[in-house]
Amino acid sequence: MGDVGMTHHVLGVAGSYPMLLALWLLPLAGAVICWAFGPQLRAMAGWLVSALVGASFVLAVLSWHDGTQSVAGASGANQPLFSWMPGFDFGLLLDPLSLLWTFIITGVGFLIVFYSIGYMQGDRAFARFFAYMSFFVFAMLTLVLSDNFIGLLVGWGLVGLASYFLIGFWFERPSAVAAARKAFVINVVGDVGVMFAIFVIVAHVHSIGFGDTFAATGTLSAAVVLTICIALFIGAAAKSAQVPLHTWLPDAMEGPTPVSALIHAATMVTAGVYLIARCAPLWNASHEAQLVVGTVGGLTALLGAILGTAQWDIKRILAYSTMSQIGYMIMGVGTGAYEAGIAQFFTHAFFKAQLFLGAGLVIHALSDEQDIRRMGGLWKKMPFAFWVMLTGVLSITGVPGFSGFFSKDEVIYGALQHGHPWLDAIGIVTAGITAYYMFRLLFVAFLGEYRGEAPVHTGGAGSWIMNVPVAILVVPSVAIGGALLFGGDASPWAHFFAPLFAAQAHLAAAQTPAPAISENLTSVIVVIVVAIGFAIAWQRYATATAQRNAVDRLRTEAERMPAVLTNLFYFDAAIDAIFVRPSQALGRFFGHVFDPRILDGAVREIVVTVGGLGTLVRSLQTGLLRAYALILVFGAACFIAYYAIAGAAH
Amino acid sequence: MPLVLVSILLPIVAGALLVLLPRGDRVLSRAIGTVVAAITFGTVLAAGTSEWSARWLSRPFESAFHFGATPISYWIALLLALCTACAVAACRVERTRDFVALLLALEGTMLGLFLARDLLVFALFWDLMLVPVFFALVGWGEHPATAWRYFIYNFAGGLTLLLATAAFGIIYGSTDVIGSGGAPLAGGWAPWIYAGFAFAFLVKTPVWPLHTWMPPTYSGLPSPMVSVVSGVQSKAGLYGFLVIGTALLPAYVHQYATPLMVLAGISLIYGAVVALTQNDAKRIVAYSSLSHLGLIIIAIASANPLALDGALVYIVAHGLFSAALFLLLGYVEEREGTRGLPRLGGLAWMNPRLGGALCIAALAALGLPGLAGFAGELLILIGVYQAGYVWPVVVALVAIVLASAYMLRLYQDIMNGPQREDLPIRADLTWLEGLAVAPLLAALLLVGVFPKPLLVNAAITSAQSGTLR
Amino acid sequence: MSVPINDYVTLASVIFFIGVVGVIVRRNPLIMLMSVELMFNAANLLLIAYARLWLHNVGHIFAFIVITVAAAEAAIGLAIVVTTFRPEKYVDVDDIRRLHG
Repeated sequence: MGDVGMTHHVLGVAGSYPMLLALWLLPLAGAVICWAFGPQLRAMAGWLVSALVGASFVLAVLSWHDGTQSVAGASGANQPLFSWMPGFDFGLLLDPLSLLWTFIITGVGFLIVFYSIGYMQGDRAFARFFAYMSFFVFAMLTLVLSDNFIGLLVGWGLVGLASYFLIGFWFERPSAVAAARKAFVINVVGDVGVMFAIFVIVAHVHSIGFGDTFAATGTLSAAVVLTICIALFIGAAAKSAQVPLHTWLPDAMEGPTPVSALIHAATMVTAGVYLIARCAPLWNASHEAQLVVGTVGGLTALLGAILGTAQWDIKRILAYSTMSQIGYMIMGVGTGAYEAGIAQFFTHAFFKAQLFLGAGLVIHALSDEQDIRRMGGLWKKMPFAFWVMLTGVLSITGVPGFSGFFSKDEVIYGALQHGHPWLDAIGIVTAGITAYYMFRLLFVAFLGEYRGEAPVHTGGAGSWIMNVPVAILVVPSVAIGGALLFGGDASPWAHFFAPLFAAQAHLAAAQTPAPAISENLTSVIVVIVVAIGFAIAWQRYATATAQRNAVDRLRTEAERMPAVLTNLFYFDAAIDAIFVRPSQALGRFFGHVFDPRILDGAVREIVVTVGGLGTLVRSLQTGLLRAYALILVFGAACFIAYYAIAGAAH
Repeated sequence: MPLVLVSILLPIVAGALLVLLPRGDRVLSRAIGTVVAAITFGTVLAAGTSEWSARWLSRPFESAFHFGATPISYWIALLLALCTACAVAACRVERTRDFVALLLALEGTMLGLFLARDLLVFALFWDLMLVPVFFALVGWGEHPATAWRYFIYNFAGGLTLLLATAAFGIIYGSTDVIGSGGAPLAGGWAPWIYAGFAFAFLVKTPVWPLHTWMPPTYSGLPSPMVSVVSGVQSKAGLYGFLVIGTALLPAYVHQYATPLMVLAGISLIYGAVVALTQNDAKRIVAYSSLSHLGLIIIAIASANPLALDGALVYIVAHGLFSAALFLLLGYVEEREGTRGLPRLGGLAWMNPRLGGALCIAALAALGLPGLAGFAGELLILIGVYQAGYVWPVVVALVAIVLASAYMLRLYQDIMNGPQREDLPIRADLTWLEGLAVAPLLAALLLVGVFPKPLLVNAAITSAQSGTLR
Repeated sequence: MSVPINDYVTLASVIFFIGVVGVIVRRNPLIMLMSVELMFNAANLLLIAYARLWLHNVGHIFAFIVITVAAAEAAIGLAIVVTTFRPEKYVDVDDIRRLHG
């Protein structure tokens, strides 16, 4: 650490950026205030946190210039903070990558926090909820704004904590408590992965800064880079619900719906995507790492989509679709198509938040009913929610013209472009399955006749609080993809990320031969597959025959669901059997057998042996005075004999 | 009178004078005890690294009543004074007067240990500090056998410590060597001397398989006492390793690093998996101590300057969070009359402040970034990895994952879940109870965010004594 | 002409062994105490003899100390015998085994 004379490479233009500091710290202030004065604030807590997160967003917009500035090859703004330890300097970095994430965290975050004012109304821990939400925004900003690995790790751990608190928000429910613990422990597995990467980096680079590490990448051996990448990817996989560390995400739906929208769809779960994009120089230096990450991403996309077809809980369907969509993103950034993976994150943040908030409208109106089999016909009763869900579904399935179409297209074509035809094929198949399960959700929940028992409450005094943010989200989820992504390399998107990824993209393009099929042809194939998925969903759930006896048909479908799907490919069972139960058995053996019987037993053996020796020696104490005298004389005689013999020998 | 001496004698004398109070007194003895502990904290702070010395022996080797904080022991002494002040303030047991007197005696003898600059004085206080705990176990514990087990185990350690000290003094000619970076000892007897020290330190810490005295002691002692014993007394062995093992016998720390790491690695995993399945809340924290302190042993065995820095941070961090955990579990037990996890649940509804405090302490214990435990863990593991030991790092990372599982289990099973019908409903923390743990929690955050003051010193000390070779 | 030292040593040895055998074979504590006295006196005889041989009075001093200790020992020994055997008709040390292990 701190080698004298070592030049430090810092990303971004170092300087003082008060706006950056303010936008980072405002949510923390909100969290502390709500936590300390919750009972006094009551309903004001929601407005306070909305205002602070909104102010953060405004500051982020105002920081646009700082974040995109480019001086002498360094792009973005770097605000040094303080030295944590000698050689461990903390700082904030706002460059195009973190700027984009900051926009989503504060912008979408603001809309969701605002929505929560309506959604959480009347909850007994209203202020606590907003304290956690505000704390989450702060933690996530720490994660994306740090200019070094330890700062990132701090944010990484704190978002996990916020997620834990919010999943277990209704902590009187045992299922929520268990889900929260599971999410936290699996995320710690990820934290530990990132920690290991830090150990390797410090040992070889002697710094924790991104700049130093990336500058030194060329000097590291391939094995070291691969180790760092795989360790980082363990972190990314746990945070971003990649196979096999994904099992916490569906359970995380125990949290309130706005939490699912913000943390488990739009922002926190995409931290893995951010990490890989941030460490692009490392991944570019290791082809093996790219292969591993791309493959796991593709696999996750496919598995998530398959599992999504077998769910009945509206939030769990969306959770598996989130997992699948993040699989796309990871596949994108993993294979080297960074802009494509980030684009998928960007559009996904909007349409998935919109889908969750739309689902939240339904759940709220049906008194916490989440099973789509007990919905149906809601398009008449809740037309606004229906249109929200419809546009969201069109965007996520990638119907041409909607945002999701452009980003998904880029990811799928990017895999091909970077020489991974198999991943390209997986991406296309997944797109078809996605269309099937998303339209299935839409048709079962909104078409036909209402099958539930709970009365449908719509409207109400505060309903605009929930409707307005959703309505705002519809705009980007429909249009932003076309506005930013259309035009390939000439698009505003490519221009925005040119300083970060352009050089690497050209390098990769020069190495890989041009793919056999063009981008337009891929798009056509994807659209056809999506149409097939839609057609199957229509055939099964939307036709007049399907709706006539919908209750029976759905029950039959649930009964005939293959066991491998209802058991979610046995991931939970496997983790339980391989890790959880053996360690518990070991703990019980150590605690109840090994400690008392063997360790204490050994000590007890010593005690018994000493006691036995004592008994033996005691038998010499006959109590006969004359015997003692005899022994005494005998001893003296031995002494005399010894000296006599020794003297004679001498 | 020099401040160093005041800080050692004040608690002992004040504790002894408490017998002047009426036997049944509860309030006054606690108030006086808290004030005395707070003043002691102030004198330790003010004394800094000033020294005081008086000749004791000149034959067969030189020895002196030499006291004064080293850069390492300064922080541990502060930790001790802080923990004791909090423990006395939180003290609500029967026969309060006598208990507070024992707590103060414990503080004084342990300050003597940590501030001693002479090996013989160190060994003297090593045995003296067992006495108050022994009497507390006899008078307030759950079973007298626990007291004897505690005493015999630790006294056996004290015996080897004394023998090693005597041998050291005779060979080296002086025992006035702690913190002065005296010449490292070598020669035929040196491995045996190291073995004598190491045995005492390993029993005290404790390390597997010498730990079986610890869970019953920690669960049997009343919370205020156990928070000091687990928070600070368990650090005596680690401190010994730092100032005696690493500084005076560096070659042997290096030579026997692997066996030491194996024992520590076993402790890490063993403690963690046992903590996973225990039902007694205090025993969970006891076994978690076994696991956490194994990490510090690994740091010491690696002899890497960064890891040694981390070791001090983690010593302080562990002291803070285990003291806080035990005090808070004491509050829980006092309220509900049980500390069995299957019988507890849902307390956070009626006790949000207690829940929040327990949550912070548990999070610090599982190494949440931003709190002290994380800073220590991270530095230690960076250093150990740098020193070229990969497998202990992997073992420690597994233990960190397990720690998150058992600490959340501890917190959630007590605080979360539906409210239990069969538990009495009690009021939340009073302001006094809250004030007793608040300094510990605040210090956890402070050390987590600004660990820098704790760092340079260990590196300097070890560099002076030529640790690395 | 003085008696040669060998005679003193022989006499003292004989007296000492009479004392030893007395302590071991007799069961009457009074006789045993007397045998102990014999051993003391054997030692005294040697001390004085050598003191004279070497013309050094440390031996005399030791002899006085031994006499004093022997007197004290006899007093304590008799007291023990009296208190122990007061209720008994016969005195026999083999009947007293209260201190056996």
